[in-house]
Amino acid sequence: MRRRTRSRPPIAVAILAALAVVFFVVPVVGLLQRAPWSELGDDLTDPVVRDALRLSLVCSLGATALAFVLGLPLAWILARTQLPGRRIVRALVLLPMVLPPVVGGVALLLAFGRRGLVGQYLDDWLGVRLPFTTWGAILAEAFVAMPFFIIVVEAGLRSLDRRYEDAAATLGARGFTTFRRVVLPLIAPSLVAGAALTWARALGEFGATILFAGNLQGETQTMPLAIFVELQTNLGGAIALSLVLLAVSVVVLVSLRDRWFPA
Amino acid sequence: MSLDARVGVRLGTLALDVPLEARLGETVVLLGPNGAGKTTVLRVIAGLLALDEGRVAVDGHMLDDPTSGVWIPSERRPIGYVFQDYALFPHLSALENVAFGLRARGVRRREAARRSHGWLERVGMAAYAADRPPALSGGQSQRVALARALVLEPRVLLLDEPLSALDASARVDTRRELRHHLEAHAGARVVVTHDPIDAMTLGDRVVVLEAGRVVQAGSLAELRERPRSRYVADLVGVNLYRGTADGQRIRLPDRGELVAAGHARGDVFAVVHPRSVALHRREPEGTPRNVLAGTVEHLDVEGDRVRVVVAGTVPVTAEVTPAAVAELELTAGAAVWASIKATEITAYPV
Repeated sequence: MRRRTRSRPPIAVAILAALAVVFFVVPVVGLLQRAPWSELGDDLTDPVVRDALRLSLVCSLGATALAFVLGLPLAWILARTQLPGRRIVRALVLLPMVLPPVVGGVALLLAFGRRGLVGQYLDDWLGVRLPFTTWGAILAEAFVAMPFFIIVVEAGLRSLDRRYEDAAATLGARGFTTFRRVVLPLIAPSLVAGAALTWARALGEFGATILFAGNLQGETQTMPLAIFVELQTNLGGAIALSLVLLAVSVVVLVSLRDRWFPA
Repeated sequence: MSLDARVGVRLGTLALDVPLEARLGETVVLLGPNGAGKTTVLRVIAGLLALDEGRVAVDGHMLDDPTSGVWIPSERRPIGYVFQDYALFPHLSALENVAFGLRARGVRRREAARRSHGWLERVGMAAYAADRPPALSGGQSQRVALARALVLEPRVLLLDEPLSALDASARVDTRRELRHHLEAHAGARVVVTHDPIDAMTLGDRVVVLEAGRVVQAGSLAELRERPRSRYVADLVGVNLYRGTADGQRIRLPDRGELVAAGHARGDVFAVVHPRSVALHRREPEGTPRNVLAGTVEHLDVEGDRVRVVVAGTVPVTAEVTPAAVAELELTAGAAVWASIKATEITAYPV
């Protein structure tokens, strides 16, 4: 009689688990085997594709920068202060992570649209119009992606030993000096991880962008939007763009593996 | 008075009320068990925690006074702090760690590096100037932390368990060096420790803290001669009894009784050094006024002496030679008689 060790799974479980793996792997294989490798260069230099690549880079980096500028102070407040209502603020900040992006787009339109809650004043007083502009696309991507930055950086700040800040204070450093010379360098890994996740999420943003910023080539048509359009007319271009996004995802995954998926 | 403080703080269940003074050039040791509030006292003096009651003043300048609302933040106090486990900045080199305070106070980079290097030399760490703290040993980290605090020439230097992070071999040398650096420092020093040997080596005066209160203060010799709590008696290794004296007789709780040579009345402490306790396997006859029957609870070897803990109506610890242990065939559970001469018992009022 064969002995069963505990590490050997029951056969039914093994089959279902293998199906799950196949389910994840087959689409990637499908994408790769249909890739027009020899024409990839031509596909990527197509004007629509080039515009989409450029815009995606601009918008996703812009959204990441916005997350840095606005998200870092908020993460600090959430991690380091006892402000009343912190938990509510945190819940609100995390809402875009679970909210369907399309709903986010509608909400952004109603808030920052030309007749929106805030948008009408931006237009009337400052002459600033966000919807259907590149700024609008940046805003839409930041709305969806910034929560990733905030939760990662807040966790980094929380796990930072407070004694380093205490030590800096007893050595004569004011709050900002301590933040710049002690806190920022020590949470650098969290900043990098948060920025990478935020950037990857912004790069793939579709729903909120197309609703709030529209789908104007060279203006708001980022890679995911271009893929959606190209799929109907220029399959090669769509696949080429998909491969670019796939490659980016793999790079982000690999570079963050130690942080998020320890062996 | 260089440091003049009365630290009144409430932290959860711990209510702290600790008067603490230190003269220029004096090292005061705050000694006490874990959770007594020693670190909290340092944090209040350094301005990392605000007072609820009392005051903190250095060289006559008020730093924290809740009644008048005076509050000088940490970064503007003339106080150096060597943290437990040192809290060196892991992303900066040893030199940059020492230079951090000078840079934060606006000293130019070159000048800050020069002075920091001088301090690294004084603590014998010049060769490690470029190393980051994770690469340093405990003893080396301690020296860098000391240099980082001293380079700013603080009026008061606070050290929280400066030796507890070190292993036994590094401890002896580092302790001696630390004493040397403390003596060279121009201001007042407050050292927190739970180790009586550290207290003895580093301190001029000892303040014993238990559960947020000062239970005794004085030189270590005074503590040894007249301990005023079980904790202090255990710390200095003597037998301490508390009872009611009526002339020479001291009645202890639980029916025990001791006879001392002096005269005392009322509530007293009585202290007996373990070296003056003799042990016998038969009930002794003759002059000793105090004969205590009991059984050996356990034996602790300490260097060339053995401490024998005897349980009985009046528990007592005796210190004897290993030869005596062998001769008397002392083992745990053995029935023994302990005798103490009346002249070896010192009684003093509670």
